[in-house]
Amino acid sequence: MNKFNIEPINQERIKIDVEDIPQGLQIKLHGDIDMEDPSILLDPFFSKIHEGITSKKMKEVVADFRGLNFLNSSGIKAVAKWIMKLTDLADDKKYLIKILHNKDITWQVTSLPTLTFLVPGGVKIE
Amino acid sequence: MAETQKTGHEGYIELKFGPRWKYIACVRGFVQNFLAISIVDQTKADKIAMAASELLENAVKYASHDETHVVIRVYPETEKIIISVENTSNPESIKTLKDVYSNIIKGDPFQMYIAQMKEAAIRSDGKSHLGLARIRYETGGDLSLSIEDNSVNLSIVIE
Repeated sequence: MNKFNIEPINQERIKIDVEDIPQGLQIKLHGDIDMEDPSILLDPFFSKIHEGITSKKMKEVVADFRGLNFLNSSGIKAVAKWIMKLTDLADDKKYLIKILHNKDITWQVTSLPTLTFLVPGGVKIE
Repeated sequence: MAETQKTGHEGYIELKFGPRWKYIACVRGFVQNFLAISIVDQTKADKIAMAASELLENAVKYASHDETHVVIRVYPETEKIIISVENTSNPESIKTLKDVYSNIIKGDPFQMYIAQMKEAAIRSDGKSHLGLARIRYETGGDLSLSIEDNSVNLSIVIE
């Protein structure tokens, strides 16, 4: 288990692992996020990450999307909602979301870079 | 149910299905496979499969009857693709769709997508209203909406 006791997600078509890294947390997404309302699953998950990281004033979450085959627009909304939480953080609670993307998966090349424009300086894509 | 035909220089598939969420991934895969043998540009095929998937999600969410009609036309010489999704809906859903469409169609596709993402992030009703903005930006295609009585047709032309 990771330092914040955040449960991984393991459902029929989607798996998200959570691992400790020295500067914060790493999440690894696999499968397809194409359910009708992924916010039921993702909103509480991202909230726990946000609360854990800000409570300990850690500096980085690595979000590894490279194993995610598909993300629908409702899933993009859930990721955007998480990113927008960075907007009003006090300086000592600010952290970076580093997104790892797979250049061989078209939607990742077109969709994920747009997320860096939501909160300037809050998201980095590699 | 799917049908593939070729008329002159144009190929197409036509599907009709009862709008069930779990069929969308199947249709997305089917469209991707169809395009893999129809056009050379794999990136374009991926974008079109994404667009078809988003249009179908839209149709399933807002359809009021049991049949959604999907047509994908391919013009091999130019690799132009037209996707059209038609279904019936109720007046309230049609109004919502018209509002979303008129909101995202007027500006620069990238700016409208970012704006729509920010708006989606503060919605609390479980809806994103992001699909059309995503399609328009990520495919670079021309999106159009036509409504006749309670029949809704969303099309995108990708050159």
